[in-house]
Amino acid sequence: MAKKIIGPQMILGNFLDDGRAVFFTRDHGWSADTSLAAYGEGDTLDQLVTEASKAVDANLIVDIEVIGARVEDGTAYPAHIKHAIQAKGPTVRTDLGYQVSTKWEAA
Amino acid sequence: MYAYDKFDHAMIDTRVAEFRDQVGRRVKGELTEEEFRPIRLMNGLYLQLHAYMLRVAVPYGTMSGGQMRRLAHVARKYDKGYGHFTTRQNIQFNWPKLSETPDILEELAEVEMHAIQTSGNCIRNVTSDQFAGATADEIADPRPYAELLRQWSSFHPEFSFLPRKFKFAITGADTDRAAVKWHDIGLIVRKNDAGEIGFEVLAGGGMGRTPVIAKTIREFLPESDLLSYMEAMLRIYNEHGRRDNKYKARIKILIEAMEADEFARQTEVEWERIKDEHVDVPMEEVARIKAFFTPPPLEVLPINAPAVEELSKKNFVFASWVKNNTNAHKVPGYVNVTISLKPHGGIPGDATAEQMDLVAALADEYSQAEIRVSHEQNLILPHVALRDLPAIWADLDDAGLGTANVGLLTDMIVCPGLDYCALANARSIPIAQAITKRFGDMKRLQDIGPLKVKMSGCINSCGHHHAGHIGILGVDRKGQELYQILLGGSGAEDASKAGILGPGFDEHGIVDALEKVVAVYLGERRKGEEFLATYRRIGADIFKEAIYDAA
Repeated sequence: MAKKIIGPQMILGNFLDDGRAVFFTRDHGWSADTSLAAYGEGDTLDQLVTEASKAVDANLIVDIEVIGARVEDGTAYPAHIKHAIQAKGPTVRTDLGYQVSTKWEAA
Repeated sequence: MYAYDKFDHAMIDTRVAEFRDQVGRRVKGELTEEEFRPIRLMNGLYLQLHAYMLRVAVPYGTMSGGQMRRLAHVARKYDKGYGHFTTRQNIQFNWPKLSETPDILEELAEVEMHAIQTSGNCIRNVTSDQFAGATADEIADPRPYAELLRQWSSFHPEFSFLPRKFKFAITGADTDRAAVKWHDIGLIVRKNDAGEIGFEVLAGGGMGRTPVIAKTIREFLPESDLLSYMEAMLRIYNEHGRRDNKYKARIKILIEAMEADEFARQTEVEWERIKDEHVDVPMEEVARIKAFFTPPPLEVLPINAPAVEELSKKNFVFASWVKNNTNAHKVPGYVNVTISLKPHGGIPGDATAEQMDLVAALADEYSQAEIRVSHEQNLILPHVALRDLPAIWADLDDAGLGTANVGLLTDMIVCPGLDYCALANARSIPIAQAITKRFGDMKRLQDIGPLKVKMSGCINSCGHHHAGHIGILGVDRKGQELYQILLGGSGAEDASKAGILGPGFDEHGIVDALEKVVAVYLGERRKGEEFLATYRRIGADIFKEAIYDAA
């Protein structure tokens, strides 16, 4: 059973076509830019999950994962290193990861 | 090399067409991810942290220059210009798009390659000795048997949904370069007293969270009975292997629970029942497959090459490369060249498209168009004339492939770790880079001598840390990556499980700890004694004291 996450959380998914890790945004889109990511807890989070799940039904996102967030100055960052790496791309071959491209940005 | 017949071609082409249809239905939303996931996995397609990953099979680690050139093309056209060679002698592409994977598989099928059964709870790519058919120390080339197993296990209806994944390894030599004792089934080619070829059959080996060394189930199995006996073993596993808990589902757990003698007894009973049911192919078919692996006609050459000797005197790195990266071929005047994919500071197992193209060109010119992939994540040019070594090394060195570290500390097996893998707990690659930079001085490496360091980013052990003379295991402690050291493992014929020394270190501390382990070895070793022998003689305590007491 997954550990219960305490505190603010954000929603992570992968685009269906290229698998790119992206976050559910405040304007209910998807982006790799964590500064745009929505976050919350309790009822707010439940509402975000409901909205984010529509992208799974719409075949845009493979699946969603609710992950712990660290909030600084109103911006959410993934709390765990695994999700931080997903947000930024591999820490090696940074010349080849998604860091160098913006074409994956969700419309 | 084995060449597809019309049945092989039809089988692979049909599968590509089927997968194209399935991908199309997934993209259109006609298949859910839950429905599609087992389908894509059966075709070697994973979803990792950042993207899809396609794992392409290199059966028993043998491929042609043309196939390597096609892999380079795939890397360039569909990926980001590189690929990653794995411990199952496969290659992984880290960035393909879902919608393009059928095109990739179609292009691979044209050169007789595929990604079938590189994932899922089925019989995976059979691995073998990277020097098979080209080494003096083997009883017989194991690849015809590996090919036979490949054909038997491909789309085998009874074994497509086993309790868990299933891995075979086979070697034809007494020196085990294929880690056969760490496999679900390991086969060692043996000769009986009558001089007949057969196999010692081992089963129940594996790494993961429960490392187990395989046990001998049958001392000698006649060559002609290979498939029926394998079928009997798989049936016992398929019937009794646990399906209620994936962590207890491998055959090693079953054999530990029922004990090897009982597993062997049940196998023999089943085998007696089925062995005359035409599971085995006629020996004519075995001979037909063997013919594909006929040794190349090599003219015997002098065992000394003046050009090699001259350059060795002038160039220490070349001399080291000849010493470490080549080994004797069964024909005098020839060697097998191991191309290290472990450049110091680089990513173990990675090769760029340009490097793949170069290796293909070298294979066409110098090694009978043959290339091998080793489970230690290196590439091999077999059948190379000794006199050609200076030219080959010059080309390799220019391309960043001339590292002379094969078998030494920096020739590490390393999994992709948390930089790519969805299962990993910790990064592996940056630690490997730090280690290979720290120990990158060739004179020091030579002085330390043969030493196998193997690292995994989680307990699943894709980096074979249990079998490392020195193993490194990445763990997650409350969100922090820590690295434990293990000592005393072996993946060779003297297989042994490495033991954990103690608490883990952070990413900087692990490199220092490794330095201390090496220092203890250098201080304690006897003349000519390799690391593993020293460890087995003096035990773990002295290493533990050096690492933890001084901290």
